[in-house]
Amino acid sequence: MPTLLITGASRGLGLEAVKQYSTAGWTIHATCRDPSKATELKALKGVTVHALDVTDFAATDSLAAKLKGTAIDVLFANAGRSNPDAAQFGKIDYKDWLETFTVNTLAPFKLIEAFIDHVAASQRKTVAVVSSIMGSMGKAYGKSYPYRASKAGLNAALVNLNIDLKPRGIHFLMIHPGWVRTDMGGPKAHIGAEESVRGMRAVVDRASPGTSGHFFQWDGQELPW
Amino acid sequence: MPTLLLTGANRGIGLELMKQFTPLGWTIHATCRDPSTATELRQIADGAGGRVTIHKLEATDHGQIEALGKTLSGAPIDILFNNAGVMEAKQRPYADMAGSQTIDTLDWDDWMGVMRINVMAPARMSEVFADHVARSERKVIAFVSSIMGSITSTTGTWIHYRSSKTAVNMMMRSMAADLRDRGITTVAIHPGWVRTSMGGPTAAVAPEDSAAGICKVITGVTPAQNGHFLTFDGKELPW
Repeated sequence: MPTLLITGASRGLGLEAVKQYSTAGWTIHATCRDPSKATELKALKGVTVHALDVTDFAATDSLAAKLKGTAIDVLFANAGRSNPDAAQFGKIDYKDWLETFTVNTLAPFKLIEAFIDHVAASQRKTVAVVSSIMGSMGKAYGKSYPYRASKAGLNAALVNLNIDLKPRGIHFLMIHPGWVRTDMGGPKAHIGAEESVRGMRAVVDRASPGTSGHFFQWDGQELPW
Repeated sequence: MPTLLLTGANRGIGLELMKQFTPLGWTIHATCRDPSTATELRQIADGAGGRVTIHKLEATDHGQIEALGKTLSGAPIDILFNNAGVMEAKQRPYADMAGSQTIDTLDWDDWMGVMRINVMAPARMSEVFADHVARSERKVIAFVSSIMGSITSTTGTWIHYRSSKTAVNMMMRSMAADLRDRGITTVAIHPGWVRTSMGGPTAAVAPEDSAAGICKVITGVTPAQNGHFLTFDGKELPW
C-alpha cells in the first residue's frame, strides 16, 4: 500500500485525512507538535506518530533522516495558521505576520526540501499543500493581510518549484480545502471535514503531469491565481 | 503642487523617479537608509529649492516608519510610492546571485528577510501614511511589484523574490478593497527588467525609460484602476 506523510495531523483536516487514509489501508507517518495529547490520532491503524513543530527546520531535517530509505507516495503539507485578529488594516501585528509566513509559506517548503528524495523514490510522487482561496487574487475582499499574503506567496513558490523540478516527475498540487467546520474555520463554515478531505483525496488521486502546478478547490474545481 | 513620498530614493529606479518628479515641481519626501552616502540624491535635493526633503529610513524598522509619520503629520501625500525592494536580503552583487533561490539553495533567513523588506515594510508604510494619502488630492498608493510575481507568467527559480512579489500583489489587492471607501486608489507596478544593480547589466530597459513610464502611469492613474497590476508602459499584467 502507498505511504503518506502528513503534518498537523492531531486535529481538524489533518486528523480527518489520517482517518480516511488509515481506513483505505495506507501506511501513514503523521506529525503533530505534541503526540502525548494526540489520543485520537495515536489510536488509528497503520499510523506512526512523530513529534514535529514545522517551524523547527532542524527537526524537519531530523525526521527526514530518520525516515531515510522510506518512499513517500504523498507528502501532505497540511499544518497552517491564521489569526484574523492581528490582520486588520491599521492594526496588523507584524510579529504575527512573520509567524504566519513561517508556518504557511516557508515551513511547507522546508518539508518539501527535506523529503523530496523520499517522494521521488515513490510510485505516486505527489506533493499536496493546503493552500486557500484567500490566496487567490480575484477573491481578495480586504483584511486578513498576513494569511492571504502567505498563501499567495506559497502558491507562487510552488508553481516555480514545479517548473524547476519538472525533470524529476513529481506532481505538486495546491488545494483549497473549502471553508470547513474545524477549529480554524469555526462552526458556521460550509462543509464538514469528512467531505473536504474526501474531495482533496480525489484531487490527490488524479495527480498527473497535467494537474501538477495547478490550484484546485477540494471538489476538484480549478481556482484562478 | 502635489506631494510624493518615495522610498528607496537613493539609487536605481528610485533615483530615476526623483529625476522625473523633481522638474515637475512636486514636493518630495525621499527616503533612503543612509543619506550620508546618497550623493546623487543630495545633489537633486540641493538643486530643488527646498521642495525635496531627504529622510533617513530603514523601512524594516517599523518604529522609524511611525516616527516619519509623525514628522509628516498633517501633510497631505498625493502619491505614496513604495519603491524600495530587494532580490535577496543579503544583497550581494548581481553576478554573485546567479543560481540562487532554488530548492537546492533556499536560504530561510534570506527568504524571510525578502518578505520583511518587500512585503511587510510597504504594508506598514501604507498603514502609517493612509491618513496622509486620504487627505490629499490624488490619493494614490503604489507598490513596486514585478512580472516575476505574476504566477501565470512565471519561469522558475528566484523563489524568495517571486513569492514576495506575489505576496505584495495580494496585499495590494486587499488594500484596494479596504481603502476604496476612503477614495484611495491602490496599484502595483512592474517597472520592467531594468539595468540597475538589481536587474544587472543585460536588462532590457534603461532606468530613465522605466522611470518616465512609471511617472506617466502613476500620475495618470484613475479609481477604475484600483487593485490593478500595471506595467511601466501602462499595460495590465495577469496574476
